[in-house]
Amino acid sequence: MNAGFPYLSAILLAPALGMLVILLLPHGNQRAVRWVSLVSAVICLALSVYLYAAYDRAAAGLQFVERASWVPSLGIFYYLAVDGINLPMVLLTSIVFFTGVWTMWDLQHRVKEFFALMLLMVVGVYGVFLSLDLFFLFVWYDVSLFPMYPLIAIWGSTRKEYGALKLTLYLLAGSALVLPGILYVYFQSGLFTFDLVQIAQAGLPVEAQYLGFFLFLFGFGVLAGLWPFHTWSPVGHVAAPTAVSMIHAGVLMKLGAYGVLRVGMFLCPQGLGDWSPLFALLATVGIVYGAFVGLAQTDLKYVIGYSSVSHMGLVSLGLATMSQGGLSGAVFQMFAHGIMTALFFSSVGHIYDRTHTKLIPELGGMAKVMPRASFFFILAALAGIGVPCLASFWAELLVFIAGYRAYPVLGVCAVLGLVVSALFMLRVVQKTFYGVKNERFAQAGDMTMVMIVPRALLAGTILLFGLLPRLALDLINTGVAPLVGMFK
Amino acid sequence: MAGDLLLFLPEAACLLMALALFGLSLPRVQDQRRVHSWTMGLSLVMVAAGLAGLFQEGSLFFEAYRVDLFSQFFKLLLAVALFLVLSICRQLTGVEERYQPEFFLFLTTCTLGMMLMVSAVELMTLYVALELSSFSLYILVPLRSGDNIDVEAGVKYLFIGITASCVMLFGMSYIFGAVHSTYLAKIAATLPLWIHQPGAVIGLLLTLSGLLFKLAAFPFHFWAPDVYQGAANQVTTYIATASKAAAVALLIRLTALSAGTSLYLLDVLMALCVASMTLGNLAAMVQSDLKRMLAYSSVAHAGYVLMGVLTMTRLGYSSAMFYSLAYMVMNFAAFMVVVKVASGGQDLKISDLAGLHRRAPLLALTLMLALFSLAGIPPTVGFTGKFLVFAAAMQDGHFWLVLVGMINATLSLYYYLMVIKAAYLAEPAGPREALAVSGPTRALNYALIAAMVYLGLFPRQVLELAEQAVRNIF
Repeated sequence: MNAGFPYLSAILLAPALGMLVILLLPHGNQRAVRWVSLVSAVICLALSVYLYAAYDRAAAGLQFVERASWVPSLGIFYYLAVDGINLPMVLLTSIVFFTGVWTMWDLQHRVKEFFALMLLMVVGVYGVFLSLDLFFLFVWYDVSLFPMYPLIAIWGSTRKEYGALKLTLYLLAGSALVLPGILYVYFQSGLFTFDLVQIAQAGLPVEAQYLGFFLFLFGFGVLAGLWPFHTWSPVGHVAAPTAVSMIHAGVLMKLGAYGVLRVGMFLCPQGLGDWSPLFALLATVGIVYGAFVGLAQTDLKYVIGYSSVSHMGLVSLGLATMSQGGLSGAVFQMFAHGIMTALFFSSVGHIYDRTHTKLIPELGGMAKVMPRASFFFILAALAGIGVPCLASFWAELLVFIAGYRAYPVLGVCAVLGLVVSALFMLRVVQKTFYGVKNERFAQAGDMTMVMIVPRALLAGTILLFGLLPRLALDLINTGVAPLVGMFK
Repeated sequence: MAGDLLLFLPEAACLLMALALFGLSLPRVQDQRRVHSWTMGLSLVMVAAGLAGLFQEGSLFFEAYRVDLFSQFFKLLLAVALFLVLSICRQLTGVEERYQPEFFLFLTTCTLGMMLMVSAVELMTLYVALELSSFSLYILVPLRSGDNIDVEAGVKYLFIGITASCVMLFGMSYIFGAVHSTYLAKIAATLPLWIHQPGAVIGLLLTLSGLLFKLAAFPFHFWAPDVYQGAANQVTTYIATASKAAAVALLIRLTALSAGTSLYLLDVLMALCVASMTLGNLAAMVQSDLKRMLAYSSVAHAGYVLMGVLTMTRLGYSSAMFYSLAYMVMNFAAFMVVVKVASGGQDLKISDLAGLHRRAPLLALTLMLALFSLAGIPPTVGFTGKFLVFAAAMQDGHFWLVLVGMINATLSLYYYLMVIKAAYLAEPAGPREALAVSGPTRALNYALIAAMVYLGLFPRQVLELAEQAVRNIF
């Protein structure tokens, strides 16, 4: 136990307190609301960067542990810690949260409620990533999900009520499998503790792992956009306002994959073995399907939505390989894809704000109209395709190698899927940013210097981790290694 | 004698309050404000008495009446429920003015009946206590001014209620026939020997049916939608909160008699649990009246409580106790918003909530939190309650039951979201003026929000209290 400063609780508390302050602020004080949100985002970002730097990679394992008994009679603990798996996720959340707040700076409609709900969602996300207690993990999981409904339904666009309802019901239906799974594991372990680490160390009976992994895979898999439970995701992304799309596609979908990894694979390593062929198959179908459906889209946000399905399929494929490279690749892909998608949605958000359309046929020649926004979009598109020197390249490479080793046929299919997705990305870039300029939008302004900052931060992160992949991989490998040992 | 009085403190306070209200109801002309202030004051005394009597233990009236932590927990809950309900009765717009002191009086006698009920450990005592509360409600339900739907609700409630009582009495006669005693302690000692006889099981089931009626569990739920809609909003609030808690208490006491030895009883309760959850949730989806919707949702919640009760384990009972507290808080919060928004005492359509977030942001927030809590979304108390009953069911090996419960929780989210959508998204057809929210109401809202979140995140104290309480009933 670390007696030092409770960094992890501070990360959890900063947005929570921010939300309380916002709720108590008088109506109409929009400036203060924005500043409070930004301050809590900056605190989180600073703490996350510090943790990322201060984490002892040589020692590995769980660090910055905070553990206290919460409900002793049921074995519920307040248990926060970071390791090589969740630390990149925490950093990702902080970056996306910070840039999301900044991107939404000009919001005018019901500002107070928006930022309060957004902060609540972020508390939930941090909670899931940091908690190592199953009870709290589930609590935070749902906390991160339900603000999505008002966030999309009030501030969204394009069939927002339908999208919001579909998304909420799908995701909570997923959590309807997770909760029985958690309770099942709790009683099967016979330890009467919700402490994830303790249960994992003691090991579950093999039959229990079989059912347990099934519940976790499909429960969390819904949020990870696992085919065929992905249909909420493009609809939801399209309907959501910019920052919510950023957090949602950038971070929230990672919660699903993280849940499969942290809860499902950690607790049921043997159950995974039985389910992994199915898991890999669904993942590959998702990769290929997402790419092909993306090819047919005319709405920029739908394009990104389906490319997310495809990219999250890569994460699932990496997990299903049960190998060091595959798992590391999957975790790295979660991080890289999160940053990339955030940049995507952030750029599209700007284009949509100025032109009030995100339909590809209506746009065209945007590179001349708004060169800065176009630059960021194209950078994100290149990252999505897997161009070397950008973060996703390394992640995708690792997953493909591991995928090909474990499942040769599926691995090849996945690579082909990526080729198709490269095709559609380039097509979108060509049609939207080059080609004939639509004169209607000739006067639409480009990003101001201030609004470049968040996008530049995201772009910089993609480049940094693309040029120095060891910055992430060294850390991730320390977290993944013990897990891979358990599969043996 | 002084010790006995201390044992009887909450009931004595309730009795005194009833007498005082009787006195207040005598003058021909009353000052409504004064009556309400007195009632609130007396009710606060009752809550204090409930707190003071929390850790009392002993028995009264020839062992027919047991005072233990279990009963005192529920008495405190009832006192708080009464206090809360009275606190939203300042403007009793749904009830004719000249009946208002009587309105308070019968709420009090009803509470008294329920308090006696949770302590009763003898079948006749239990029955008499149950009837005291039932008869008060038979009067309260039709006490509504305005349209003529109230008569229908009142008559319906009276007839179904009396039938349920008869069935219960009939069941008790079977139990008496089987074990030759009306004392629960004796029954508990002998019943396991007889439990495999059809007569004993039928007796127990029929006795339970009287309580399932109170709880509005399937198939005894037919009264709920009409009565919830037909009764004055405040009465509905009371029925939906206090009355449910008392029913759970008795259900726990009576099912504990079989000590989990009857598989047949378990099967029946499981079937009722699944049917209540599913039917309640499906029916709630198509309602357009908010109170009717909440009535069907209460049927579903009866199912969740049953899930805790049917395990007949310590965790099951303590989780059911926690759930009844949770249900009281969140359901009260939802109904409080109904009462406040329907300021003329009328029924409230879900579409009437349109634009609530602008007319009264605080009420809208409370409503949203209450509904999320009812749907079982963390970090609210409703989630923790559901988590506990599901945990209890899982511990007993009812995996499928938990899965069905979770699927139902997801189903229920749909119609709760529809209400939230109405309150936060829909725009009213015409201009609506802002709702005035008075200082005390504001405080009540903050308290409810805080309670829902606090109990959701910090269930420890209440849970430990409940665990300690159920230790005595085996």
